[in-house]
Amino acid sequence: MKRECTKEPISQEDNSVRHSGLINTNYFRMKTKKVTLFALTLGLLVPMMLAKPVLAQTTPTDTLPQQVNTLRDRINGFEDRLATAEGDLSKLTKIKLSGYIQAQYFNYEQSSNYPYNNFMIRRARIKVTYEATNGVAFVLEPDFQPGNFSIKNAYAQINEPWLKTFSLWAGKFDRPDYEVEYSSSNLECLERSKVITTLYPDEKAIGFKLEVMPPKTHLKVQLALLNGNEGYTYTDGNKNPYDPNGVSPVNTINAAQNNVDFDGFKDLMLRATYAFKLGSFGGLNIGAHGYYGKVKANAYDLLNSDYTYNKAISNPGTSIRRNWAGVEAQLYMDVLGGLTLKGEYIFGINGAPGYYTTQANPPTVTTNSMSHDTLFQVQKTTTTISKVPAIERNFMGYYVYLIKNVGKRNQFAVRYDYYNPNTKINNDSIGYKRYSKSVSGTPTNKWTYSSGTNMVVATNAQTVTNTTNALSTINSTNDLALGTWTFAWTYFFSNNIKIQLAYSIPINETVPAATGVTYNTNGVVTGNKTGVIKGYTVNGVSGFYDYNNVIKQNFLTLRIQAKF
Amino acid sequence: MKRSKTIKTIAGVILMAVITFAFMPAPKKITIKGSDTMVLIAQRWAEVYMKSHPEVALQVTGGGSGTGISALINGATDICNASRPMKQSEMDQLKERYGSLGIEIRCAKDGITVYLNESNPVKELSVKQLSGIYTGKIKNWKEVGGPDAEIKLYGRENSSGTYVFFQENVVKGDYATSCQTLPGTAAVVNAVKNDKYGIGYGGAAYSKGIKQCMVKKDDKSQAYAPSAETIKNGTYPISRYLYMYLRNRPTGELKNYIDWILGPEGQKLVVEQGYFPVK
Repeated sequence: MKRECTKEPISQEDNSVRHSGLINTNYFRMKTKKVTLFALTLGLLVPMMLAKPVLAQTTPTDTLPQQVNTLRDRINGFEDRLATAEGDLSKLTKIKLSGYIQAQYFNYEQSSNYPYNNFMIRRARIKVTYEATNGVAFVLEPDFQPGNFSIKNAYAQINEPWLKTFSLWAGKFDRPDYEVEYSSSNLECLERSKVITTLYPDEKAIGFKLEVMPPKTHLKVQLALLNGNEGYTYTDGNKNPYDPNGVSPVNTINAAQNNVDFDGFKDLMLRATYAFKLGSFGGLNIGAHGYYGKVKANAYDLLNSDYTYNKAISNPGTSIRRNWAGVEAQLYMDVLGGLTLKGEYIFGINGAPGYYTTQANPPTVTTNSMSHDTLFQVQKTTTTISKVPAIERNFMGYYVYLIKNVGKRNQFAVRYDYYNPNTKINNDSIGYKRYSKSVSGTPTNKWTYSSGTNMVVATNAQTVTNTTNALSTINSTNDLALGTWTFAWTYFFSNNIKIQLAYSIPINETVPAATGVTYNTNGVVTGNKTGVIKGYTVNGVSGFYDYNNVIKQNFLTLRIQAKF
Repeated sequence: MKRSKTIKTIAGVILMAVITFAFMPAPKKITIKGSDTMVLIAQRWAEVYMKSHPEVALQVTGGGSGTGISALINGATDICNASRPMKQSEMDQLKERYGSLGIEIRCAKDGITVYLNESNPVKELSVKQLSGIYTGKIKNWKEVGGPDAEIKLYGRENSSGTYVFFQENVVKGDYATSCQTLPGTAAVVNAVKNDKYGIGYGGAAYSKGIKQCMVKKDDKSQAYAPSAETIKNGTYPISRYLYMYLRNRPTGELKNYIDWILGPEGQKLVVEQGYFPVK
């Protein structure tokens, strides 16, 4: 974009017009908001003004038009340089940086929580968005919690330019759900509801998503195909090829941390929302979503939600169901400065994989030439191989928020959320309804491996008992429902900083009183058991919770969030 | 029982605080921020209104429609002036922060004017030609009946509502990279005034010292200049409403001020400043 230099003489008047208009306004004013460019301009201009002019030097003998032309040549030179610099800088404007830090103080009232209070960094995220061209964006958002680095978002988004209706997402992003997609930096009650954190742990999942948003309508449809296991922790029973005890110990797989798929099954999510305007009263958004997913059973037995036997599974790689549906609504009312009522209800079947253990493959017996090899003789032993069946639980959960703005800087929110992980078990059955199966195994070989003195292998007969253990035991709270009241106050200190104080009151489902319970010195239940009891030891002091009562487990959070 | 009492106590205290805050008197200082296109009229409204209402302080700043909407969302302004409607994403942010969809008030009409240098012989352009020029497909004035000279493009920054409106309704694509972005309509006008081969766009109220280009809907249509009549009857193809956005339904002094703007006195000033009334 080289500016041509006219050779025609220019009058004094022309010069003043061009100078005051083109340079002062058109040249410098447009840069006033671009600090970087301004600095660059200064960097170019100042040295050139201070430097001894060589090529574009004017002499006292030059006529005024000649001087003007000379100066204009110099300005044109600057403009060319600036155009180049601006081109380079414009690439940087495609990068958008945002993020936030949440530092908080936590105080627990639950006896088993130790320490009872602590300071912590709840979230520390930086989001980088690169808009390559109009309609194409790349997003990367790491979380820098101390000792726990993780990638929260990493996706590419392509918006189709013709109908401006479809957009395709690929990578790791929020699962399509209202509270999941609601930014963690905007949560009025500081954390998400129990039903959401249970069904969608870690909020994000890896896969593809298609969003349909026809312009000038208020309809939004999302269709996502996901791994579906992100955020879950699984116990996989068949992972360790070496095992000195004859059976493979179970292996824990953290799908959230490793971003791995636990199985080959993909989950499908569909969500549709529509926003209605209610005139000057406010607005109403309604929506629904469905989840059709599968997860590896990882077990040889499948139970129903009420612990009755469903079927034997010949291959632990077979899938079990994770199917549910939900409805949502958000009502925004222009009442005394803004009032919001919003909620979601989800119900369905949530399959939980079991685990199993198998005998390890024997280590390779090598003919060892080392002189200190020793052959150990192992006595005949009995080994119990632990197994847990898979189960498909019927569940339901919901949350309701009431949010009131108080002036421009304050906001009050109250939420009640409830999650019942097993709707087929009444409270008087929790702790009683169990499933247990014992199967005598056949004598097999036992292999012993000594890693300290190179490889030493011995064999002997042993008896193996396969046991399918109880899923619901005396100290299992898996089937207990939990309702939580949360009261929160937010003070918006500035555009970037807000201070939040929240007090949560969890109220657990109560069950019949426990009887015949005894404990060992570590607080572990050892005696005859009924009811639901959970022991704990803190600082050498043992205690237990009897879920015949509401357990005191309230907590207070004071959080400061800085966002940019 | 004890737990229930705790919950009731907490709820009671909070309810009292909410009610106390809710009925606090509204401040007499009103901040207005947003569209640069509307700065002229907004300042004029404020000057005249403060003369007759000395107890009210009105503070007007520009920055662009996007900047104004951001300020409305984060509580930094009471009124946002915008030369484009609020986007769904912005409305969502307002909902999340204030539980409100915002109140939209159409306060004036404007014809987006295409500015040409007075020495430019080109008199009219179609919307399609304007699109070609601003996307960079048409680079020389001779392609649209002008002299053999490179077209110099001037436009607004992307925080401007005029930038967005012009892009969505005229350019219909990405702006050419050669388009110089300037921080206000006045700067665009000044640039075109001083550039023989320049072209710019902006509010009709700023059309001083430049030539208004007549615009036609398509090649076969008649070209029109922006005027009260052509904008009112819809024959000028690039006209739009100008908006004021509030977080909530206005009360107190804010309501009085809005009512005054929409009344005869406020709308008279609209015409005086070169914009067009809503009715």
